[in-house]
Amino acid sequence: MPDAHPPRAAAPPRAFARAWPHLRALLISLHVLAVILGALPAPSGGMKRGAWRDPTVQDEFAAWRGRLAAVGLDVDAQTFEDELWAFATRFMAARAVVLKPFGPYYRHFGTLQTWRMFVAPHRYPARLHIDIYENGHWVNVYEEQNPGPDWKQGLLEQDRFRSALFRYSWASYERSYRQFAAWIAKAAAVDYPEASAVRLRWFKYKTLPPAQAAAGVEPTGSFIMTHVVPTHPDETGAVTPPATAAEPADAPVEAP
Amino acid sequence: MSAQAPGAWARWVGLLSAREAPHSLAAFRVGVGLCLWHAFGSPLITGTWSLIWVDVDHGGYRPLGGGWLVSALGGPTPAVIGGLLGLGLLLGLNLVVGFASRLSAFAALQVFLAITNLNGHTGGSYDALIPNLLWLLTLADSGAGASVDAWLRARWASPPTTPVRVSAWPRYLVIGQLLTMYCSSGLQKVGASWIPGGDLSALYYILQQPTWQRFDMRWAGHIFPLTQLATLATWLFEVGAPALILVLWWRRTRARPGRLRALANRLRLRDAFVLFGLGLHIGIMSLMEVGPFSTASMACYACLLHPEEWAALLRRLRPSRGPIPA
Repeated sequence: MPDAHPPRAAAPPRAFARAWPHLRALLISLHVLAVILGALPAPSGGMKRGAWRDPTVQDEFAAWRGRLAAVGLDVDAQTFEDELWAFATRFMAARAVVLKPFGPYYRHFGTLQTWRMFVAPHRYPARLHIDIYENGHWVNVYEEQNPGPDWKQGLLEQDRFRSALFRYSWASYERSYRQFAAWIAKAAAVDYPEASAVRLRWFKYKTLPPAQAAAGVEPTGSFIMTHVVPTHPDETGAVTPPATAAEPADAPVEAP
Repeated sequence: MSAQAPGAWARWVGLLSAREAPHSLAAFRVGVGLCLWHAFGSPLITGTWSLIWVDVDHGGYRPLGGGWLVSALGGPTPAVIGGLLGLGLLLGLNLVVGFASRLSAFAALQVFLAITNLNGHTGGSYDALIPNLLWLLTLADSGAGASVDAWLRARWASPPTTPVRVSAWPRYLVIGQLLTMYCSSGLQKVGASWIPGGDLSALYYILQQPTWQRFDMRWAGHIFPLTQLATLATWLFEVGAPALILVLWWRRTRARPGRLRALANRLRLRDAFVLFGLGLHIGIMSLMEVGPFSTASMACYACLLHPEEWAALLRRLRPSRGPIPA
């Protein structure tokens, strides 16, 4: 509404009203810049050189070396990895410098941009198995994604814990895996008071190619990262389970 | 007035000064509220919350730190985390009904960050997406439509208010966030089996991963060519997502000349994007267990419909009830 005689007190708000669209546009621009810079592709989750030894990662490297070779760029495996690691390290250092001013905005206002989703399929997945040692033999009480042995299934296969299970089959998460195993032992002591130990291990296998899966072939693999924890560590006279007697750890076996 | 000033900055300021009816933002707010129920309710129902967000000394499996909020409340104990989850559900309900909407969105954002930052091993990309959406709901006048806030405002307003209009820029930012997420995700799908020129087997192998599958998916071997097609379509959709900005611009300026503009509008590319995107997320939800990622993404789609389209849709659903109230 036009005002022929604006009071003096109204001047500052009017000045602000004129400036506000510009200030708002500036703030929105900064937000957009923070979002775009934060979302630029980065290998954050892959900066563990030890994890590069996993066969899934090695297969990816081999596929990319093959593609490079197809366009005349022959690189041996070691050079390829070293060059990639050096580039990724430099890139991540530069990225950290660029994103530093936006750090508080990402952290406190929930504007973090991490969109690394299914970067590459894991062709050598692992399924968690949990067994209890009872009456002199191992009894399977849980197998990931198996409706049969389903102890704690609802808990362990809730989507958030699936994310943890995915990590704990990698050697780089050994410490957290052991912490989880200790928790499982305590829980087993409550639900299976007769059990003297609990065993956690991963059945690691190569995913079947489409034709074999369609033909009903069962995958073969091996158990890795076997971890046995007593369920009643303070009790004397508890039956000691054979740590690897039931089957040699990491030996190739048929899919359970 | 800035709109009269020439140049890119003036046009940018003009675009961000646009106002519109609040229907799209209201639908988005309801979607995010429901998503919070999914995010907080699922760990509560399964009991997973006490395993992952409670410190090892109080029944969890890992030693946990805690941000400022959890620390101020006494650390990650069952009482603190259970209380925060209950508060989170209440704030989600507030967003659904639109009560103290902006304050609820900001409080929900802080609660969400406080809980999910406790254990970095137990999350997914939805832990990045949901806070972004809550922040945009905080910035927007998110309680202006279809809400208790709007009802209270209309009841107490004197003289009666004119039809409610809200800033359009929060809706633009929601769309921008969705497209950024897609594009960034697509660009980071660098596995040889994702990128055109390879065997396009990524989706088949992802569906075989026990971590994410809802059930045994070996039958996908029978429809491998279909999974290859889906792999290619998903990758192209994600990497090409920013092109939707151009499509939306062409829709907005449909009266202007230009063959590409006319063709894009005739092909209804925006509608095709929405249909494909919703189909993608429904597919993910049906076949994979990836938490509230799809519900959060689909909430953003509410902003891809212009408020007038929402109004028309609502009029069609209830033709005898007159104009759509804010």
